[in-house]
Amino acid sequence: MADVITVPQVQPVQAALRFLRVIPGVLLLAAVGYAGKLLEQNVGAYAKARHWTFPNIEYVLWAIILGLVISNTVGVPEIFRTGVATYEFWLKAGIVLLGARFLLGDILKLGGVSLVLVAIEIAGSLAFMTFLGRQFKLKPKLTTLLAVGSAVCGVSAIIATKGAIEADDEDSSFSIAAILALGALALFTFPVIGHFLHLSDRVYGLWAGLGVDNTAEATAAGALYSDAAGKLAVLVKSTRNAMIGFVVLGYAIYWAGKGQAQAVGNKAAFLWQKFPKFVLGFLLISVLATYHFFNKDQVGALANLSRWAFLLTFAGVGLRTNFSDMRKQGLRPFAVGAIGEVVIAGFTLALVHGAGKIFGW
Amino acid sequence: MSAEVQAGKTGSRWKLSLDTWAVLVAFLLALLVRTGVFKHISW
Repeated sequence: MADVITVPQVQPVQAALRFLRVIPGVLLLAAVGYAGKLLEQNVGAYAKARHWTFPNIEYVLWAIILGLVISNTVGVPEIFRTGVATYEFWLKAGIVLLGARFLLGDILKLGGVSLVLVAIEIAGSLAFMTFLGRQFKLKPKLTTLLAVGSAVCGVSAIIATKGAIEADDEDSSFSIAAILALGALALFTFPVIGHFLHLSDRVYGLWAGLGVDNTAEATAAGALYSDAAGKLAVLVKSTRNAMIGFVVLGYAIYWAGKGQAQAVGNKAAFLWQKFPKFVLGFLLISVLATYHFFNKDQVGALANLSRWAFLLTFAGVGLRTNFSDMRKQGLRPFAVGAIGEVVIAGFTLALVHGAGKIFGW
Repeated sequence: MSAEVQAGKTGSRWKLSLDTWAVLVAFLLALLVRTGVFKHISW
């Protein structure tokens, strides 16, 4: 006979405790982000007043640098970690609100072009990373995780694929560390290369959206170049994110066929479960903006709310990046990721350049 | 003897993903802007 013990409902209390636990970290994100904004406003003016030559550093970079300095010197104390991890939540809320600045026609026009580029990028990246993983004799599932992380959308894709193909925790930690380290490098290299090659906002925005893996880093890399490039990078990256379900489903079927993962039952439900819902939110807000649900001032207010949300995100990108933790994960997956990223960056740049020639950008 | 622990199921039924929460919060903010509760957001 089984004894039945009924646990009393404690969920409201747990929810309140969870909410309280995120507050210190969110305040830290806000403080670091706002400090970045103040530095942007004041450092340039201070240097100019003293006739110093000093580059104009945007709040995006200041917030990331401040976060990196904290994370890699004193570290992020435990009390802040839960709240700092909410940076992805702010990123997604910011992307949805950014939808107010896009008219549906623009999305359909740019989205159509970017969809073709995204399809080519995903196919090319998956094939190349798989080839590279085999050359370096990485474990097949680790190779799959690195390929998905590079081709689709960084950490989210790795986590989604890990569950679907039943990969080891160690493999996913390796892949996430490699993708995050390379994303941090892309933040600093993409804008420099873009300026060096005198890329237009459109070409650069497309390139950042296609070439940078993690959504937060792609958003930041775009915003570091210009506002227009940042908008486009978010649009292209969201198109890539929308593909996550199809790619994960493909790999889940492949590994299930080899008897190394559970078979996928309802494929439509699987796709819906993996589909990033914020992409739908982004589209819905842009539909509302297109049909003048918001007036001009309200669109401006939504755009500023989106900037505040991104400010917390950029602070979080710096705060969660710890180089010594990444070094502990080993060199081989990082080397595969690094070689892959350099090739994918070159490939996507050529792709965007070619599209620019065809469409006259 | 075996013991079966039954936790309240209503909570898990309504558990939303981070994505969905982000969309809901963004729409709530958009609604507050649309209805004039937030008139001006400075940057």
